[in-house]
Amino acid sequence: MTTDSLPTDSLPTKASAAFALESKDLRKFYGRGKRQFEAVRGVSLSLYPGEVLAFLGPNGAGKTTTIKMIAGLIYPDAGWVRIAGKDPHRQPDALRGVGAVLEGNRNLYWRLTPLENLEYFGVLRKLPRRMARQRGLELLERFELVDKQKEPVRKLSRGMQQKIAIAVALIHEPKLLLLDEPTLGLDVEAGETVKTLIRQVADSGCAILLTTHQLNVAEELSDRVAVIRRGEIVAEKPTQELIQQFSDRSAYRIEVAGTLDVSRKLALEKLGARVNNQVIHYAPPAAKHQKGSAQLTSRHSANIYQIFSILDPLPLVDVRQDKADLTDAFLRLVQSDSPVDPKGDRTTTPLPTAPLPTAPSPTASETQQ
Amino acid sequence: MIDLFIGELKRTWLQTLRYPTEVIGGIVILTAVFYGIFFSTQYMAGSANAFGDRLDSLVVGYVTWTLVLYILNDTATSLQLESQTGTLEQVFLSPFGAFKVFLVRAVANLTLRMLLILVVLGLILWITGSQLSFPSLLLLPLLTLILAASGLAFLAGSLALVFKRVQQLLGLFQFVLLFLLATPTEEWTGTARTVAHMLPILPSIGLLRGLMARGETLDWGLWAIALANGLIYFAIGIIVFRWAERKAKRQGTLGGY
Repeated sequence: MTTDSLPTDSLPTKASAAFALESKDLRKFYGRGKRQFEAVRGVSLSLYPGEVLAFLGPNGAGKTTTIKMIAGLIYPDAGWVRIAGKDPHRQPDALRGVGAVLEGNRNLYWRLTPLENLEYFGVLRKLPRRMARQRGLELLERFELVDKQKEPVRKLSRGMQQKIAIAVALIHEPKLLLLDEPTLGLDVEAGETVKTLIRQVADSGCAILLTTHQLNVAEELSDRVAVIRRGEIVAEKPTQELIQQFSDRSAYRIEVAGTLDVSRKLALEKLGARVNNQVIHYAPPAAKHQKGSAQLTSRHSANIYQIFSILDPLPLVDVRQDKADLTDAFLRLVQSDSPVDPKGDRTTTPLPTAPLPTAPSPTASETQQ
Repeated sequence: MIDLFIGELKRTWLQTLRYPTEVIGGIVILTAVFYGIFFSTQYMAGSANAFGDRLDSLVVGYVTWTLVLYILNDTATSLQLESQTGTLEQVFLSPFGAFKVFLVRAVANLTLRMLLILVVLGLILWITGSQLSFPSLLLLPLLTLILAASGLAFLAGSLALVFKRVQQLLGLFQFVLLFLLATPTEEWTGTARTVAHMLPILPSIGLLRGLMARGETLDWGLWAIALANGLIYFAIGIIVFRWAERKAKRQGTLGGY
């Protein structure tokens, strides 16, 4: 296939200009014959200037292939990409609008200093040499790396190298920044610095497509989340909306001090609560499907009060509503075998009535990469 | 493009200078090898006086050999190394397009290499106490030689892009090159001569030998053939490199190693 035979179906026109990134129905096959498999199946992603989209998925779900198709580094077998209205696969100039920090890559010349890297990559992105140097100095100041500008990159810490890689990706003031695992392998402090930088970059109007296995990072930084599973987008929503969808605010977790006797346990279970040592979980079974029903809400509140009266006079250690986080939402989306309804108000994933299992810590899942 | 050329020149220069022992080592090895060749030839041929003006052609032959070898390996080695260290995909993100970047890179590297060779040449002349006189027309077949060699370099680079590990193949290239440089194909006649005109580098090498060793004047007809040969192999290099770039992007193996 040549670039001339790249897919051109349903090319967008003026509407694309409003988007920093628009991609439609991207598909990619790998392998041949019986070994052929579809790594990316009809992925469509759009980003407005200044928006941060967290693109999440388990290993091998198709995140990196999608990002590289967007960056023009892998040809899609079908679908199209527009960066500020231009096709990176046909118009190399479209790459003036893209900056990328790719996972598993150094992204920098280790023998060169930060400033030399910034200057070189600036020129490589078609900036005049003087401007590249000037912008490089500004970025070093903004990223608090001025004192390291003359050290070869290989002598710097992993956190600093990552900051320089992000600075290099920003040297030509791109409209779209692709960040594949930007906080991978960073210590807590460096991770926090990189997060602050990403937020600042987005605030300056640059659209950011971010992949990460650190879901707390995604939750903190993203305006919107897209979850990919086996090459397909299974959910795409504003971050808080997605978390809300997987939270059951009518469910409560109550922890008491001391031991619950059998009569109390029976009374609690009769009301529909689950008792696990000193912890009581109460989740009204039908509430999530009938939100807004005043009658139901009132009955559930009555049940909660009853639970408290059964527990009285045991000392209360903790009372709180069950609230999901992005990790919970993500795990349920990627572990579900249900069919996909990415933009629907409700995913087809069944919501749990029981309390959520403890999610693995993001750091642990990250170190698996 | 000028900015890109200066940028590439600066990058290569700085990267090389960061390890000065590499530069000094390179100069010492190149010089020592030549010195070895010089003395062994002298031993075989008799005294230095009898050696006479063949020394000029020996110098030119050796310098040409190192230069062509460097050009041939440069693009493939650079692609392989950058793919390994993880900067290759950043280079492919350039709006200039990969081919232009690698072409400018090749020219910048060649410029620096020429400087290194001039230093070596100076050392050689100082050691042997000889004086070289080159006809300025020598630059013309040298230009066609560089064109053809660059075409071959892009062919080798294409292999590196698609197949990644091509070190063994590059080794093989050196033997082929040795054959191309050492065989006096300009003395061939008939069909063999026509075939020699079509093989890469050969017409330029024949002209260089004629100018230097036999003291002939430049045959413009033969130079036209050498120019066509250089341009054709350069064009083949460009076409195959662009094909390899598309192939690697289709396979999704651009950054892999």
